[in-house]
Amino acid sequence: MAQANQQTETSDSGGIDLSKSSTRELLAGVTFSLPYLVIAGLFLFGPLLLALYMSLHDWNALEPGQSEFIGFENYQILLSDPEFWNALWNTVYFVVLTVPPIVIGSLLLALGVNRDVKGQWFLRTVFFSPYVLTVAVVGLLWADIFNASGLIPYYVGGGNWLNSHSLAMPALAIATIWWQLAFNFIILLAARQNVSDRLYEAAKLDGASTWRMMRDITIPQMQNPLIFVVIVTFVGSFQVFGQPFIMTDGGPSFSTTTIVLYLYDTAFTGRDFGYAAAVGYVLFMILIAVSATSYYFLSGDRE
Amino acid sequence: MSTKSTTVRDSLTITDERLRTIALYVGLYGTAALFLIPYWYMFATSFMTRDLVYSEVPHLIPWDVTLYWYEYLLANSLIGMWTVNTLILAGVTTVVVLIIDAMIAYSLTRLEWPGRRVIFAVIVASFMVPGIVNLVPVYIIVSELGLVNSMWGVVLPSAANPLGVFMLVQFFKDIPEELEEAARLDGFSRLRVFTHIVLPLMRSALAALGLFIFIWTWNAFVWPLLILQSETMYTLPIGLVTLQDNLGVTEPGVIMTSAVIASTPLLIVFLVMQKHLVRAVEMQGTTK
Repeated sequence: MAQANQQTETSDSGGIDLSKSSTRELLAGVTFSLPYLVIAGLFLFGPLLLALYMSLHDWNALEPGQSEFIGFENYQILLSDPEFWNALWNTVYFVVLTVPPIVIGSLLLALGVNRDVKGQWFLRTVFFSPYVLTVAVVGLLWADIFNASGLIPYYVGGGNWLNSHSLAMPALAIATIWWQLAFNFIILLAARQNVSDRLYEAAKLDGASTWRMMRDITIPQMQNPLIFVVIVTFVGSFQVFGQPFIMTDGGPSFSTTTIVLYLYDTAFTGRDFGYAAAVGYVLFMILIAVSATSYYFLSGDRE
Repeated sequence: MSTKSTTVRDSLTITDERLRTIALYVGLYGTAALFLIPYWYMFATSFMTRDLVYSEVPHLIPWDVTLYWYEYLLANSLIGMWTVNTLILAGVTTVVVLIIDAMIAYSLTRLEWPGRRVIFAVIVASFMVPGIVNLVPVYIIVSELGLVNSMWGVVLPSAANPLGVFMLVQFFKDIPEELEEAARLDGFSRLRVFTHIVLPLMRSALAALGLFIFIWTWNAFVWPLLILQSETMYTLPIGLVTLQDNLGVTEPGVIMTSAVIASTPLLIVFLVMQKHLVRAVEMQGTTK
C-alpha cells in the first residue's frame, strides 16, 4: 500500500502522467465525498435502519437501552388499530381528492399557456407563484377563507367547512390543489415545449384533428414527465401533514387525521416511538407500492 | 358550387377557431383570477380596519386603510426576530448544501476511484425515501447529539440533499474537462482545481440549485416545528402557526398580516428570479 502510494507520487511529480485509479485519486475521491457521505449516513441511511430496528421494539423513550425486542408486534397491533385504519382511509380519500385535479389541472394549464396566448408571462407567473409559499401561509390563509365568516361560506355556502364532517377534507384538498399545482405545471410546460413542432406540422398535413394530435403526439411525447408528475403528486399527497395540522388539527372527530398526522401524534404526543416507526415503515411500503403501480400502468412497459 | 362550399367551410372553421380561442382565454384567465383571489384577500385584509375585518359580510376591498395590524404585530410578537432566524437558517443551509453537494458531485464525475458508481446509485435510490419515514429516528439522533432547539439541529438533517447531487452531476457531464486537465498539468492541486476552476464554471447551476434550496428551507415546516422549541428560535412558518394558538382566538387581521410578512420576501425573490427557479424545477423533471 505504502509502496503503491510512493509509486504514484513519483509518477505524479513527473507532471505528465495524471494516472487515474491511483491511491491518490482514491484518496481525493473519498475526501471530496466524505462530508456528504458522513451526513447522509448519519441523517438519511442510518435513520432508515434505526427506524426498522425501533419498529421491532417496545421503544423506551427515556432509556433506549431498556427497550424490549417484540418482533413484529407493533405491526400486528397496527393492523388491528382502528385509529390507524381511519388515518389510512382519510389519507386515501385526500389522495383521491387531490391527485387527479392536480395532475389533470396542471396538464391543461400547461397546454393552454403553451398556446400562443397573450400574457403568457403573466399566466405562468400566477400559476407558478404558490410554489414559493410555506404550508403555514397556505394553511392559515385558506383556514380563514373557509371559516364561518370567510369568503367561501359566504359566496358558496356550506357554513364553516372546517367544522363539517363532509366538507373539511374537501376544504383541505382545495387549498392543496391551489398550492401544489405549480410545480407540476412548470414541469409539464417545459415538457410540452420540448415536443418538436415538426410532429404537429406533419400531422396537420395529414388532416389530423386537435384531439387526435393530443392523443397520438402530445401525450405519448410527454410520457416520462407525466409519469414523474403522477408519482411525485401521489407521494406528496400520501405524506400530507401541514394542511390538516394547521387547518383542522385532524378534526372534526378525526375525520381529517392523516397517516403522517397520526404518526406525529403517536410519536411526539404519545411518546410511542417504536409504534410510530412502524407506522412510518408501513407508509414507506405503501409509497413504494403506489409508485411502482403507477409506473407499471403508465409506462406501458408490462413485461 | 365547389367554391361556395369551401367558403362556407372556411367561415365555419374560422368561427370554430374563434370560439376555441375565446374558450381558451376564458379558461386561462378565469383560472388565473381564481388563483389570485386568495392573494388579494390576504393583502387586502392586512390593511383593513378592525370594523371591516369583523363585519358580517366578508370584504374584499379595504375601504378603510390602516397599518394597525402591522404595528400590532411588530409590537406584540417576535416576528422581526423570526424573520432574521429564517434568513440565517435558509442562508446557512443553502451554503452548506451547495458546498457538500458540489464536492461529492465533483468527486463522482471527475475523479476515478473504485466504488463511486455504487455510491452514485445509492444516492439516486435515496430519492425515493420519503422524509417522513425518518421523522422519528432522525429526531432521536438529533436529540442524542444534543442538537434539539438549535439551528444545527435543523440544518444538518437536510444538508445531504440527493436531488442537488443529481442535478450537479448532470451539469458536470456538460462542462468540458480540458480546462481542469490543463490546470492539473500546471501543478494545481485537486482542491485548487475545484475552488478556482470548477466552482466558477458551475455558477449558473449552483445559483439555480441554491435558489431552490433557499426557498425550500425558508418554507420548511415539519422539521423546524419539531426541533425549534423556544419562541426566540422559531422560523416564520412556525412562529405564524403558534401566533394563532397564542392569541387564543383567531384574529384574521393579525394572521393575514403575518402571512403577508412571511411570504412577501419570497414572492419578491420569485418575481425577480423566476427564470432561475423555473430552471431549477425543470432540471428535476428532466433528470428523474
